[in-house]
Amino acid sequence: MKKMLVAGLMLTGSLVANASSHREAPMIAEDQYVDNTDVYTFISPSDPNKLVIVADYVPLLLPSSGPNYYKFSDNARYEVYIDNNGDAKPDITYRWTFQSQTKNGATFLYNTGAVDSITSPNLNVTQTYRLEKIDEHSGARGVIMDGVPVAPWNVGKRTFANYEQVALQAVKSVNGTSAFAGPRDEPFFVDLHVFDLLGVGGSHTTDGLNIMSLVLEVPINEIASGGVRPASGMTGKTSVVGVWASASRPQLRVLRKGRDADDYGRYIQVSRLGWPLVNEVIIPLQDKDKYNRSQPKDDVGNFGAYILDPEVPKLLNAVLGANCAPTPAGGRTDIVGLLAPNGTTPADMLRINITMGQTADQSHFPNGRALADDVTDTLLTVACNNGSHIGDGVDGNDLPFSQTFPYLASPHSGNP
Amino acid sequence: MRTAAVLLVALAACRSHEAAPPAPKPAPLAHATQQDLARELATADRQGTWAQLRQRWQGQALRWTVTRYRTLCGAADSCFVAAFPIERPAKHGWMPKLDLSQAEMAKLDAKCPSAMCEITFEGTLAELAASPEQPTSLRFANVHIL
Repeated sequence: MKKMLVAGLMLTGSLVANASSHREAPMIAEDQYVDNTDVYTFISPSDPNKLVIVADYVPLLLPSSGPNYYKFSDNARYEVYIDNNGDAKPDITYRWTFQSQTKNGATFLYNTGAVDSITSPNLNVTQTYRLEKIDEHSGARGVIMDGVPVAPWNVGKRTFANYEQVALQAVKSVNGTSAFAGPRDEPFFVDLHVFDLLGVGGSHTTDGLNIMSLVLEVPINEIASGGVRPASGMTGKTSVVGVWASASRPQLRVLRKGRDADDYGRYIQVSRLGWPLVNEVIIPLQDKDKYNRSQPKDDVGNFGAYILDPEVPKLLNAVLGANCAPTPAGGRTDIVGLLAPNGTTPADMLRINITMGQTADQSHFPNGRALADDVTDTLLTVACNNGSHIGDGVDGNDLPFSQTFPYLASPHSGNP
Repeated sequence: MRTAAVLLVALAACRSHEAAPPAPKPAPLAHATQQDLARELATADRQGTWAQLRQRWQGQALRWTVTRYRTLCGAADSCFVAAFPIERPAKHGWMPKLDLSQAEMAKLDAKCPSAMCEITFEGTLAELAASPEQPTSLRFANVHIL
């Protein structure tokens, strides 16, 4: 009977697990563990035959946030999508699912002694993951790796004599694909005072914070259309791939007295991200949660008018007197064009040239997105459209990025 | 048992929220504009009358004047038009999709050879997605460019 009722509830379609960038929409702000904050993609600096994809989740994390340090959610799907033929639909999906373990439930401690290895018995709370690759055309689903450890939280100097040495033991490589999951230094740099009536003034508000990162490095021929990397100089739809990420939750959660909640139903997308700052500053409040539930292939039909006629320049003029150009009568088709390189369908995803000969040095937003790209300045300048450089005064990350996998900087220590 | 009762109540609540009224045939909306639809969408958002809104509008033959941007309406099977002029900024994100035959696409190109122009069309509002969960979207079938 209970199962029938639950099935009935799901069939009504009225109960939806709703909810995603950094706390950019009302509902995802209430579900932090699945809040997709940023996506990056660039040709690998260490192997130009591979593409690096970074999907960050769980925003603005204080390093000393014990005793239950941040992790990925065990009842969510974290996914990265590849569109390799320009139609704005996923052709390949990479899916991460997580499982937490506690060695000793009789203590409140995350670790019960010093930790010198990712397999240390002193690491009391751990998490592992499975990484799958799904061919969206055939439906074929393969497990790339399973039981892979998530890097532990950087608790502090008393726990880790050498944190990064332990964390890098979480890097796993199988048949040319490398993966890493775990805490990293928050790579996004911005003056968040922008949301106090655009009160930007160069405050490094994301310095010292951490993020949960999924990092993937894959051979380009494995994600290219037809399994073949396009030749140098090609300019068709298949010479670029589109990359975006999402998180999904089971549709129905039943809270229980005295035991953990039960989750039922199909997975509902609660967060998605392609370009930076789209849902923050392009999509208005009335549609932010709906944006998180929608698919890139539908972006023009659902949200196209917001791109053609954005709010940002008006705000910059009203609040900062920035003298931005008025939206032309013909709309901002230039921005639409940036979202649709090489004749691809306009959609909110990072598109990057994957033709032979491309290098990391050429992977800069909007051709992909490198970790060090100052996308806030780029997007404000594009939005203002008056020929002047507009910026938030924050031009770089607090820590240097690495030239080797997983590329992001080591997370800040909870007890430096 | 208690869980079952709670689920029943939840089910009833969900159903009553979106319950469709007995279906009188909706009056024709031949002269209804996109501004009318936008007003009714705002009402539905306040009052939860999404089902009534869909019933009233879906299947209606409409004549609308819209803006065609070549970058967003460049092929018969991929044509989205702007329902509203540039408002600085846009108040609605949706852009109606027009299902065009090749002949109508050719007519559109002939009438609108520039990057952007105003066009009037007649068509059937074949799909109207309007709900508290998903973004609003529209698709017109049997489209004739006037």
